[in-house]
Parts: sequence; structure tokens; C-alpha cells
Amino acid sequence: MKISGTTSFALTAVGLALLSGAALADIKIGITVPLTGFAAADGKSALDGAKLAVAQANVKGGINGEKLDMVVYDDQASPKEAVPAATKLIEKDKVVGAVSGSYSGSTRAASPVFQAAQVPYVVSYAIHPDITRSGDFMFRVSAMGEVQGRGGAKLVANLGKKKVVLITLKNDFGQSLAAGFKEAAAKFGITIAGEHEYSIQDRQFGALVSAVKAQEPEVIYASGYFYTAGPLVNQLRAAGVTATIIGQEGYDSEKFMEIAGPASEGVLITTSLDRDSANPATKAFLADFKAANNAGADMVAASTYTATQVLIDGLRKTGGKGGAALRDAIAAGTYDSAIGKLTFNDLHEVNKDLQVQVVKDKSFHRHSVISDPVLLAAPTKSAK
Amino acid sequence: MFFVELIAQSLVQGSIYALIALGLTLVYGLLRILHVAHASLFTLGAYMGVLTYNATGSMLLTLLAAMTVSGLSGVAMFRLAYQPILKQPPHVALIASIGLFIAAEECFRIIFGASGLSFTNPPLQGQVQLPGGLQFKQAELAVMGGTVLIIAILGWLQTRTRIGVACQATVSDPQMAESFGIRLTMVRDLNFLIGSALAGFAGVWVALLNNLVEPTMGSVPSYKALAIIVLGGLGSVPGTLMAALVLGLVESFGMVYLGKVLDRNAIAFTFLIVVLMVRPQGLFAKR
Repeated sequence: MKISGTTSFALTAVGLALLSGAALADIKIGITVPLTGFAAADGKSALDGAKLAVAQANVKGGINGEKLDMVVYDDQASPKEAVPAATKLIEKDKVVGAVSGSYSGSTRAASPVFQAAQVPYVVSYAIHPDITRSGDFMFRVSAMGEVQGRGGAKLVANLGKKKVVLITLKNDFGQSLAAGFKEAAAKFGITIAGEHEYSIQDRQFGALVSAVKAQEPEVIYASGYFYTAGPLVNQLRAAGVTATIIGQEGYDSEKFMEIAGPASEGVLITTSLDRDSANPATKAFLADFKAANNAGADMVAASTYTATQVLIDGLRKTGGKGGAALRDAIAAGTYDSAIGKLTFNDLHEVNKDLQVQVVKDKSFHRHSVISDPVLLAAPTKSAK
Repeated sequence: MFFVELIAQSLVQGSIYALIALGLTLVYGLLRILHVAHASLFTLGAYMGVLTYNATGSMLLTLLAAMTVSGLSGVAMFRLAYQPILKQPPHVALIASIGLFIAAEECFRIIFGASGLSFTNPPLQGQVQLPGGLQFKQAELAVMGGTVLIIAILGWLQTRTRIGVACQATVSDPQMAESFGIRLTMVRDLNFLIGSALAGFAGVWVALLNNLVEPTMGSVPSYKALAIIVLGGLGSVPGTLMAALVLGLVESFGMVYLGKVLDRNAIAFTFLIVVLMVRPQGLFAKR
């Protein structure tokens, strides 16, 4: 009796030690993010956002006392880098879930890999429709390109303008925005006086600017990222084009104002981060990000921060388990996030209002909010 | 008026291409090396320009710093990377050059940050109104003027000075030139110095026009400049200048009229392919 009692005590002790050992092992989550190549600036912002979310969760005790460990792979925003990165996260690091802090091209390539391995993949700001269509382990916290494009057309209508010239970035992002814009433009009686396209490597728009100037638009709907839009807006204004310029979340970075300088004043963008928000989650994020990084947050940081939080929230509910349990936990959640209140529909897309920000005194401020549940409806499983 | 404006924009673009491609053509003419890493000196010049201007506010110092640093780095590239492998077949130097270019891009990113740099208070941004509603940035006019000036100086150096004649002699027959007492290494150093300084000069202007300097800003010029020297008939300086201007025109008009079908770079390379099918020796080669 006595001996067996001691033995069982010893066994329990060993068992406890093992358990606590297991409990101390970190829970691994992954992130694919462009840290080198043309999208490295956005990648850095995205990673800063994700790191902040992980750090905050760990300060609060992680998942049932287990620390979260984020494994980072550089996907260079390139499909051919994204697939091995996703495979490594799954096979080598055995992550329970992952976040995309990258562009559409690479995220689209990585999503089937995560889907096949049944590892939930929460996408921050990649906007191509195919991503959530890869399967039910995919989630997206941002509005798709078409949705944002439709919102852009509504903004033109709200401004009371009619004659628009489109300047479209020739990639997934720009083309889906243009498609959404054109689709809704017809409804609002907007005439499209001209359409131009440019490639992501272009920084000198002299010829295009001359053509836009000759078309005399009231509004220019120009898609792009801050590093293309900054020079574009600068050059449009330098050539004497005074039309209202509407951009999107790709402009959403302090660097845009730095590059475009005084030309950025008055530029409108549709995005998901409201700098003048009264929402406590947004205010807290903006302050925390500034404190952690000594730089203002942008849309990319806010979206990746939110995507990471969504994943962590799911893990809290499953106690750190991945797979189908994590998928269902994420899908069932509602999130009061830095980019607004989020719930996922059956395609794991979110419905939310579109924030319109205007550049005033070298920073983004609230202009208006576009709230139109019908026009801005995210696609569902049944509807294309 | 639209056409006049478009042609003017082509000249701005063409001037920048000319400045970058000149250095490349000098190197090719002298050593038969396709110097891809030349574009990283363009990026370096742009970074130096922004850093110097933000620190000093002097345009003169900015140009001097950019041209000196790019020029000397070009010489260093030649001495450290190309000179030891001059006896190898040309593709060895090409591979070394591509390697250098990729490494330089990553160095820029590590040293200066991924998101690039901008002028805090960019100079020459004022607008110049010309008759007929034409409007230019001062920097756009300056880049055209600067290019013409630099080319004139180069032309004078090459034809009217001893060192210029020595360069020409080295291009046409290095051994013979050496036997006449021309120091080959000096001529080569000088070529890299001048060509690279021009790339740095171009970098400053591009930085001013875009107000953005990025680690990857050399990636398009790296191969576009190769296309230009091929168009110009490899190694010919006047050919390169003409080819740069023609490409500026083709791209500007192409962007406006074909932009929906092909992007700017695709237009440039389609043009290159068509030209080479008709004139394999390039647009402006004599032979």
C-alpha cells in the first residue's frame, strides 16, 4: 500500500512535470509577410501589427498560461515564395494557425496549402476573391476589392460629381477595384471619361498625367499603393490637374503624405482604419502601435493586427487546439476590432462600413463613413 | 497641345534613360561587360542625394555628393569585381554583375529601411507656366537642361582632350593604345568613374521627380538600360542617346494609346524585339 502510494505519487509527479512541461511549450502560429522585395515596406508594417497583437496576448497570459510564439516567413509578396513558406509553417513548424500579412498574389498561392492541411489562415489585407474560395479554413478581415470599388463610386456620387477618369494599377488589387467601381458607377449615373492602366513598377507618370489632363475629369479614381500613388498624385498636381483624387487603402500610410507632400492635401481614400475613431478598440490600437513602434499605424498594420487577434481569440476558445475546432471557433466569433465590428459570413468574409479619410495637414482624418449594407455586401458562398 | 505635352514628357523620360544608359554603354564599349549592377549606382546616387539635401539643403552639394559617391563606388566595383575576372568569358562578368546588383538592393534595404526615403522639403518643385497651358515642374526642366549640358561636356571631353582621345583609342584597340603609352587601368577607372557619376546624377533627378527613393528603384533601369544600349547599337554613345530618346517617345505614346493592352515595360520590349527583327545591329549602328 505504502509503496504503491509512493509510486503513484511519484508517477503523478512525473506526470505533472510532463504536463507542465507541455504546458510551458509555446503555441506556434505562423505569418507569411513580404519582408524583402517591392512590398517590403508594407510587410514591415504588417509584421509590426502582428507582433503587437502577439505581445499583448502574451502579456495577458497567452493561451491558458502557454505563450504564443509567432513563426515568420518572408514571402516577398510572390506566389513562388509563398508556397514553400506555407509548407514550412505547416510541416516543419507545425503551426496551429497562420496569418497572411501579404498581398493577393502570394496569399492566393498559399491559401490552398493551408486549406489542404486544415490549418486556419486569417488574411489581413489581400483582397482577391479566390482566397476565401479556396475553402472553409480561410478567413478575411478586410473588404474585397470589388466592394471597395463600389464604395468608391458611391463616394463620387456623395460628392455630387459625375465625370471620372480611372487610373488603374495593373494587378489583382487595382483591377478588382476598377471592376467594382465601374459596376456601381452605372447605378449612380457616373460617366467614365477615360481609363488608364499602369504597372506596379511605374513611378514616372508624365505621359499618363498629360492624357488625364486632356480629359478634364472632375474626379480621378486612382488605385495604387502609397509608393505608386505618392509620385502619381505629386505629378498630377505638378502638371496643374486640380480634380478631386480618390484613392483606397493602398494609399493608407504616413509615407503617402511624405512622398506626395503638399499635393496630398485634400486627397480622399476609402479604407478600414479611421484615425478619428471614437471606438475604444481603434483608439487603443493607434496609441499602442505608436508606443511600440514610434511611428503611426496604417491600414496594413491595423488589418494584420486584427487578423492576428482573430486567430488568437479562436485559440483561446479552443485552448490552443488547431484544426476544425479552431476553424469553428473563429467562424463563430464576433470581434470588436481596431477596424470595426467584425463577424464572418458563410464564406468567411466580413461585412463592414467603409471609412473615408481625407488628408488634412499632412495626416489622415475622418471625412465620412459609407454605410450601405446592400452595396457593400461581401460575397457569400451562394452568390458570386 | 496634348501632343506637345506628351512629347515634352517623353523628353524628360528619355533624358533620364540617356543618363543611365550612357555609363552602361561606356563600360560595354571598353570592356564588353554587360554591367547590370550599374543600376545600383543609380539607386545609390538617389539615396545620397536625398540624404545630402535633407542634411544640408544645398542642391550643389547634393549633386556633388551623389556623383562622387556613385562614381567612386563604380570604380570600386570595377577594381574589386570585374578586374579580377576580365580574362574570363563575358558571361562570367555578367553573372557577377547580376549578383552585385541583387546584393546592393538588399544592402540598401538593410541600411536605409524598406519603405524608402523622401525629401523632407523637396527643392525645384515649383511650377513653371509656359504659353498654351503647358506646365512643368522646375525639376523636369532641370533634368532636360542638365542632360544636354552633361552630354555636351562629355562630347567635348571625348573629342578635344588628350584623355578623351586616349579613351577612344583604348576602345578601338587596347593593345595598340597601351603600346603608345596609354595606361589602360587609368582609362578604365575613368570610364567607370564618369559613367557611374552620370548614373548617380540621374538618381538625384528621379528622386526629385518622384520624391521617393526605394531599394528596388534600380530594377527597371537595370534591364531597360540594357535594352537601350542594344537599340543604340552596343557601345555607340550617340546611338545610345538617340535610342534613349526614341524609347522615351515610344513609351509615352504607348502608355497613352496601348496602356490598356500592354504595360510600359512590355511596350518597350516589344519595340526592342521588333527593331531587332528588322535591324539586328540596332537602330543607330553604322555597320
